[in-house]
Amino acid sequence: MSCHSSVTHLHVSPVGQAERVPVHLLPCEIEHNGPAQVSQYFTATMKDHKGVKAVSFRGRGLKGQEICCPAGYTGLVLKDTNKPGSDQEDRIVRVSSVFDKLTYWNLDNPPTSDDTVVMAMDWPELAEAIHEPIDE
Amino acid sequence: MTTKKKRTPNTERSGWVVIAPDSVTDKNKHGSDPVFLRLRNPSTDGASLYLLGSGDEWLYEVKAFEEEFHSWFVGEAVQRDGRLVFVTPMDPLFLILPYLMKSGREGKFQPVDQVVKDEDFPACSRLLSCSCSFLHIAEEKEVGGLKFHRYSQERTMNWLKKKVERTAAALKTKNVSVGEGVKSTTYIRIKSESEGREEDYLRYAHGLISEYISEALSKALLKHLGLPELTSPKEAEPPAKKRKLSDKPVEAGEDYTKFNSADFARKPPKKMTAAQKTLAKVDKSGMKSMSSFFSPKSK
Repeated sequence: MSCHSSVTHLHVSPVGQAERVPVHLLPCEIEHNGPAQVSQYFTATMKDHKGVKAVSFRGRGLKGQEICCPAGYTGLVLKDTNKPGSDQEDRIVRVSSVFDKLTYWNLDNPPTSDDTVVMAMDWPELAEAIHEPIDE
Repeated sequence: MTTKKKRTPNTERSGWVVIAPDSVTDKNKHGSDPVFLRLRNPSTDGASLYLLGSGDEWLYEVKAFEEEFHSWFVGEAVQRDGRLVFVTPMDPLFLILPYLMKSGREGKFQPVDQVVKDEDFPACSRLLSCSCSFLHIAEEKEVGGLKFHRYSQERTMNWLKKKVERTAAALKTKNVSVGEGVKSTTYIRIKSESEGREEDYLRYAHGLISEYISEALSKALLKHLGLPELTSPKEAEPPAKKRKLSDKPVEAGEDYTKFNSADFARKPPKKMTAAQKTLAKVDKSGMKSMSSFFSPKSK
């Protein structure tokens, strides 16, 4: 009896064909998963002033900025391909879209390099210093 | 009192927004797909999510960056789950080390495939396909073309020391704030300012490496680095309690969407006595882990 034997396969073959999409990280929880008219009602009202973006969302002014994925890294959006409730032990996820930059939005504060998501982007470089094999 | 709007639990399976090295998706060299799997976390001893890629040659760590009340717009769709998942290369020796240490107590040279075995995590044997050198953590004997290994504390300490030094150098290059706001009137520095900074970087790096080793090994490493042990409210906490807190997100269920977010989550503030507060001021630098790395810098 083992409790950790199931694995999840990541289908990477469609990465080349995966759609490149704009990605926004919003400072609120939206209780919905699924289609929304993002470009019509959100992106269309976006303004850009010296690298700082502004947008109005549900009557709240958001300030944001675009940040790039670290060098050598790609953004992937993974989707479950198994039908809900299926009993299959191993799961399969596929790459549904890709991105190499994302826009994050703050509620009140203008974006700065101290924003946590900006600092999180430093993690891969630090992880490499920690984990790269030591020469013999 | 403000009333909080009740939120429906997020039970639907949505997508995951992931940042991964190109080596994960580069499939040209190998025919097989990467797999997410659970392995024994060397620091917490519980289950954590990892990824094996390139035909089990490369191991990756999976960590979720998570802030409350966030969601994504992905193209023309909403994704409620606002986590950003980082997949980063991981040294497989960190996961192999606990198995070698355990068998090392017998003091015998043994074949690694008989040592790296785990009833709870049968997939751990796949780690042996990863490219890594056991010579960093073990002595080797070759008999009749077969290799046998025995855990070496001395080699392990030297290997970990090199890792701490390299990490400290990277922190310096990245100019990560490690020491500011740590000074206190009750703590008198005898060393020069630059020496003090060096020690701050080493302690911070030691804190980062300690996320991948057992508490006992972390203490031994501190000694090996020539850094005195500091007592703090965090360290004074019983280890069991500390562990429970740190691996809660991974033990919460079998759903693999529960990523290893403990290191990114901000710990709830604890009530401290005045004396503990003073102590906390003094030794913050050595205790910093990923959670503080992602907290706003002290102004």
